[in-house]
Amino acid sequence: MTPSLPMSMMPTRRSVLLSLGAGITAMALPRGSWAQGTDAVLKFGLSTFPPTVKPFDNTGGAANTVKLMIYRGLMGYDASGKLLPELAESYEWLEPTVAVFKLRANATFHNGKPVTAADVIFSLNEITKEGSTAFLKSDLAIITAVEAVDDKTVKITLSSPSAIFMDLMASYCCPIISAESTDGNDIGAGPFVMKSSEKGVYIELERYGAYYDEGGPNFGGIRFIAYADENLRFAALEAGDVDLIEYLPWTQFDAVEASDTMQMKSTLGPYMFLLFNVTEGPFADAKVRQAVGYAIERQDVVDAAFAGRGVPLYGLPNPQGSPFDLSNPAHEWTYDIEKAKALLAEAGYPNGFDCRLLATATYGMHQDTASVVQAYLAMIGINATLDLPDWGTRVTAGKEGKYDLAVHGTSGIYNDPDSLWSLLYSGNPSYLQSFGFKSARIDGLLEQGRTEVDTEKRKAVYQDLAAAYFEEVPQVPLNWRVQAYAMKKSVTGFEALPGFLNGSSAYALDETQLG
Amino acid sequence: MLAFLLRRVAAAIVMLLVVGTIIFSLLVIVPGDPAELLLSTGGGSATQEAIQNLRIEMGLDKPILAQYFSFLINTAQFEFGTSIVDGSSIADAIALRLPRTLEIIGVGAVLALIVAIPVGTLAGLRGGGRFDVIASGVNALLTSIPGFVVGTLFIYFFAQVLRVLPAGGYVAFSQDPAQHLQMLVLPATTVALHLATIIFRMTRASVLEMRGHDWVRTATAKGLRRSLVVRRHILRNALGPVITVVGLQLGILLGSTVLIEFVYNWPGLSGMLVTAVEQRDYPTVRAIILTVAAIFIGINLVIDILYSLLDPRIRLK
Repeated sequence: MTPSLPMSMMPTRRSVLLSLGAGITAMALPRGSWAQGTDAVLKFGLSTFPPTVKPFDNTGGAANTVKLMIYRGLMGYDASGKLLPELAESYEWLEPTVAVFKLRANATFHNGKPVTAADVIFSLNEITKEGSTAFLKSDLAIITAVEAVDDKTVKITLSSPSAIFMDLMASYCCPIISAESTDGNDIGAGPFVMKSSEKGVYIELERYGAYYDEGGPNFGGIRFIAYADENLRFAALEAGDVDLIEYLPWTQFDAVEASDTMQMKSTLGPYMFLLFNVTEGPFADAKVRQAVGYAIERQDVVDAAFAGRGVPLYGLPNPQGSPFDLSNPAHEWTYDIEKAKALLAEAGYPNGFDCRLLATATYGMHQDTASVVQAYLAMIGINATLDLPDWGTRVTAGKEGKYDLAVHGTSGIYNDPDSLWSLLYSGNPSYLQSFGFKSARIDGLLEQGRTEVDTEKRKAVYQDLAAAYFEEVPQVPLNWRVQAYAMKKSVTGFEALPGFLNGSSAYALDETQLG
Repeated sequence: MLAFLLRRVAAAIVMLLVVGTIIFSLLVIVPGDPAELLLSTGGGSATQEAIQNLRIEMGLDKPILAQYFSFLINTAQFEFGTSIVDGSSIADAIALRLPRTLEIIGVGAVLALIVAIPVGTLAGLRGGGRFDVIASGVNALLTSIPGFVVGTLFIYFFAQVLRVLPAGGYVAFSQDPAQHLQMLVLPATTVALHLATIIFRMTRASVLEMRGHDWVRTATAKGLRRSLVVRRHILRNALGPVITVVGLQLGILLGSTVLIEFVYNWPGLSGMLVTAVEQRDYPTVRAIILTVAAIFIGINLVIDILYSLLDPRIRLK
């Protein structure tokens, strides 16, 4: 009973205390306010609480952001998305299949011990060993040997040349951890150390004093707070409870742009697309899938599901920042309802058909995308019934092929067409791929592109891939999403990394300052 | 008496066993694979091999019946085990979060009682008068606004426009009492608002009924002060049904604060249950539901026993 009275007083008391505190601080530290800033704690609003922060598993964007603050790999990216040596000081390709990394002399783990060749051997073995659940296990299966040349030099031998090996080494799923790590206690070499956490609520990190980069992080710690509700996440930023949020809801972009106190950094990152069950029914016919490609006005998807913040995508989803320009109008679906109807008729469905369109009610953008797609398909006679279970059920339905047509959205992990491997390579079926879709031609091109190191030849391979994608239709692309981080104006130096690297934007926190 | 007690306790145990079995079966039927989900968070996907390895780590490769029996045996020993998602102790998490849910419900109930009983009494005493009409009108309006809408509006006004309170979140009382109370204000008020409308209605109706009784007229006729008549003769009798309803509502709230906890990012038990369901963290879902069911069944057991003490005839039935 008694708390009720002080509580109603709280509003005024809070603001008075705040302004008083700020005033005293300002008076006490007329010139020392910069030092104050470097010890401050950045409060970061996450979209979900990381289910785990196991270094080698991929358990979502929030987890990867936290992981990048605790762990670092041999390679990394700067705020513009440029690939740079990280725990390695330099590297060299002795042969197309042999890379040698020189480790930084001053790189140490959070237990104070130096990062050595033995730790690199240990970490890569943790990923590739039998029974591992590592995200990059199959990608790194090309490693045939990891040897210590000396304490600070590692030689890695591959079974075939790899154009994307250095990108893999920069992935948030390929950090180097101490060989003294035990199960449940992984020791990293990143800029911050785990201080405390409560499952579902927050994770607090503090600066690692002996981080190799001498400038070190520009602030004393990070407190990650999970806000599952996107509107609350935005409200928390607007109210000043947090300094920076990920996944700014699309409907709030206007508010941030108009604000005096907030700003945002965004890039075109993930993309939305349609998948098909090609084992039975009309969608087994590539012509019908092509018809779907022509039947949808993509700008309407962008407008309805993403408040206009996206770009229509008509062909192979070659990410922003990719080394190649693969655009070719001959291999793109523009909105052409007549062509769509003609293709349907050619396939033997002049009057259309009924089908199930799978999406999820867990994510509003998936559901809204599905609604627009449903409306456009109706115009060519395809009557789709929406199936909108929760995310967990949707993943299982996708994996088991319990759908005819499905909406999905995702991102690769580096800016290269090879990043589409997990989405297109039939050797690793998952709910991310059209159910039952197999194409020796697409698989072959992906394999060729990965092992070819000559840039011009690779480009030709991926141009062929764009053609195969258009003709065989493993998926129908819809649009790129603008993916934004929003922050207080006083937070400077943070950038969203371009393209598929958007999910690795936590690297830019190295250059971020609190005002 | 002893036989009655034993019968009741046995019935409670059987009920818990039934709840446990139902929840176990439901979770088997619900589609969704925790291993695949964990490695698909955010829309990516791991290899089938990695997913299979994780299933083995989670113990999901064992036959369903074996999983069921080990669940029964562990529960009988009060062993809730660990979350299959991150291996953390479930009992610890429930011990941490249950009090927080109880806190917003408890503080909300106190706030609701403080406001609704006097207002309801006044409205009942002046049934049909101007105060009653206005209070009942406002009450009808408030009843019809769901908690999550109130929550969203509160956040908008108090956090985003006025900026006097945080938008949500939680800090332990031991860590920072002032901030803890600030963060408690909005969720507790939201719970209180809903509860207050129910208490107001009950109080008003009950007072309205009581004030017409003979003994009230007698008390007034023999010259007692008005305040004494109200307190001793009307309110004391009128509050019986109100207390019953409040008790019932508190039980219901234990399972229905989900939306309020979600809107305010208040890390209570319901929020934990929602996340566990989303992640198909089977042992966590089972443990939370069993805990809530046990609280319900336990309260009922206590009430049964109390009644039997008050009225021995009940024991015979």
